Amino acid sequence: MTAAAIALKGCVHAYRYTLRGVIGSHCRFYPSCSDYALEAITTHGAARGALMSATRILRCNPWNPGGYDPVPLPPKG
Amino acid sequence: MDQKRLFAAIALSIGILLIFDVWNRTNRPPAPLPALPAMQTAPAVPVPSPAAAGGVPTPGVTAPVQTEASATAARPPAARVSIENARVAGSINLRGARVDDLVLTTYHETLAPDSPRVRLFDQRSSANPYFAQWGWTAASPAVRVPDSETDWTATPGPLTASNPVILSWDNGRGQVFEIALSVDDQYMITADQRVRNSGAEPVSVLPWARIRREHTPIGAGYYILHEGFTGVLGDRLHEMTYSSAKTEATRRSGVALDQETAGGWAGFTDKYWLAAVMPAAPDQTLRASYRFANDGGGDAGDRWQVDMATPQPITIAPGATGQMATRVFAGAKEVHLLDSYMDRLHITDFDKAIDFGWFYFLVKPFFLALDWIFRLTGNFGVAILIFTVLIKAAFFPLANKAYHSMARMKALAPKMAELKERHKDDPQKVQSEMMALYRSEKVNPASGCLPILIQIPVFFALYKALFVTIEMRHQPFFGWIHDLSAPDPTNLFNLFGLLPFDPVQYSHFLHMPAWALIMGVTMFVQQKLNPAPPDPIQAKIFQWMPIVFTFMLAGMPAGLIIYWAWNNTLSVAQQYYIMRHDRAAAKAAKSTGKTAKAKS
Repeated sequence: MTAAAIALKGCVHAYRYTLRGVIGSHCRFYPSCSDYALEAITTHGAARGALMSATRILRCNPWNPGGYDPVPLPPKG
Repeated sequence: MDQKRLFAAIALSIGILLIFDVWNRTNRPPAPLPALPAMQTAPAVPVPSPAAAGGVPTPGVTAPVQTEASATAARPPAARVSIENARVAGSINLRGARVDDLVLTTYHETLAPDSPRVRLFDQRSSANPYFAQWGWTAASPAVRVPDSETDWTATPGPLTASNPVILSWDNGRGQVFEIALSVDDQYMITADQRVRNSGAEPVSVLPWARIRREHTPIGAGYYILHEGFTGVLGDRLHEMTYSSAKTEATRRSGVALDQETAGGWAGFTDKYWLAAVMPAAPDQTLRASYRFANDGGGDAGDRWQVDMATPQPITIAPGATGQMATRVFAGAKEVHLLDSYMDRLHITDFDKAIDFGWFYFLVKPFFLALDWIFRLTGNFGVAILIFTVLIKAAFFPLANKAYHSMARMKALAPKMAELKERHKDDPQKVQSEMMALYRSEKVNPASGCLPILIQIPVFFALYKALFVTIEMRHQPFFGWIHDLSAPDPTNLFNLFGLLPFDPVQYSHFLHMPAWALIMGVTMFVQQKLNPAPPDPIQAKIFQWMPIVFTFMLAGMPAGLIIYWAWNNTLSVAQQYYIMRHDRAAAKAAKSTGKTAKAKS
């Protein structure tokens, strides 16, 4: 894992133990946005993983039905 | 599980950091920065700035100190010319041509009407030396320039908006130095520095203007607020704390920052006050520097300086006059005042002297709206309450939309119970199955991460607007709050004044004001309405948050705690309203269904 990926995942963990405690959990998806981000960064790397997490957060709004939405598998090769 | 332990450790560390921050804020020890040997043996001549063209000495920070220290005693006290206008009172020290006495007459130090006015500039002999000074550095060796011990002659004072004062000094070798000072009806002093050369040879000098601070101010010490060097140089904001300037300057022979700038400004900012120097013409290019030096005696010998000089020494031919015009702002950072200077004098981004921060584009409009409501209602606290309601109202559709499906959730209850029964031993499975169910039934109880994340910068911006602006200073609220910008004075630990002692003298933790308790309760109630995090450790932290926050905010300005408490209360009210509304709607739907059945 690259340093950037580790740093990003650190941020997600930090969020979960601080800010999430203040604002509560409101995610419409399974897995939750923060779980999704951790997994996406692990399997797709820092840049792609961060981008995927960002679009996931954008999808996580009242106009999206939500539900089960796993991280896509990385392309084979 | 090892990972859980790790996370618990992380959580504990964060908690300790937060608590340390609270303690640190009120009980800040002086920064223990090592003074390098190079700085302790400061040279007695002006420090040559390596960046200055041709190795010409720029206004070195150490030079005047040394001169003054050696040539004191047995001289008459320095003559002074007083400064008077509607906002300031003070005087020009004719020895050394500096303004080292300036009081902001419209601001008191404390709430008491007979308390002293806020003093910005003070003399070398005082505990907090802070002044503006104008001078020249000789670039050709033959020319004799004035120094910090020079006694200037002045035209009749006092210096007022209608009466400029001209200081002059003849060096006896054919050059006359002049500083024409004028002041407006607010906080701006303009200085026109001229050298008239009536000698036979051309002379070369470097004119400069500087703000110098010969002590390290005890700041408010909040991480959220910048105090120290600040300026807009080359269209960019350059902020530097005292400690980072010290580190930087120690590495670069006294110069923490050195940059040419067309227009702009640079100086020292406190939470509410600013002293800054700038070119008088917005298109004029000067070289600005942030400097640090140590006169010995540990941290007490720390000296700070912001100066502006012409980029190159100016050469004045026989019979000619060399000139540089600058301004010094010394006063309160009132938003509308800085804005008006920005408009009238075209000072680049002068409003950024107020630490609006990254969210400038939100914080400033928020402040302007708050200030407008304040003018309507006459009470800043009421303005905070009203403005928070307006912001909440703007986000209401989002929240409403989220809870809209609440009613339909009820219909799913039996199916959910069955799911939970089926996967009793696998909570993860229950979660994923539930999400699949929501999706197939097109309902979802959560509002989503996006609406919540969008709200964070908005509420942070409001918080920041309240924090950084002087307009909340000494503004009362109801009851026991007489100053919204100061911590709530009441304290649980002496039963709100029933016991005749001040617990804070024993520990800074022993301050628990009434409004912080109110805030804690509102936060607790609001959390009860929020879904808890799925992870048990996180859920535990979640439960502790109201208590952590109560302690963390206890020492914060009362206006911020009131805002926070009010914001929580509104969130609770909103959630309650929506839930009741949906319940009523569900009931209505049920009963109409029944009557329809009965009819058929």
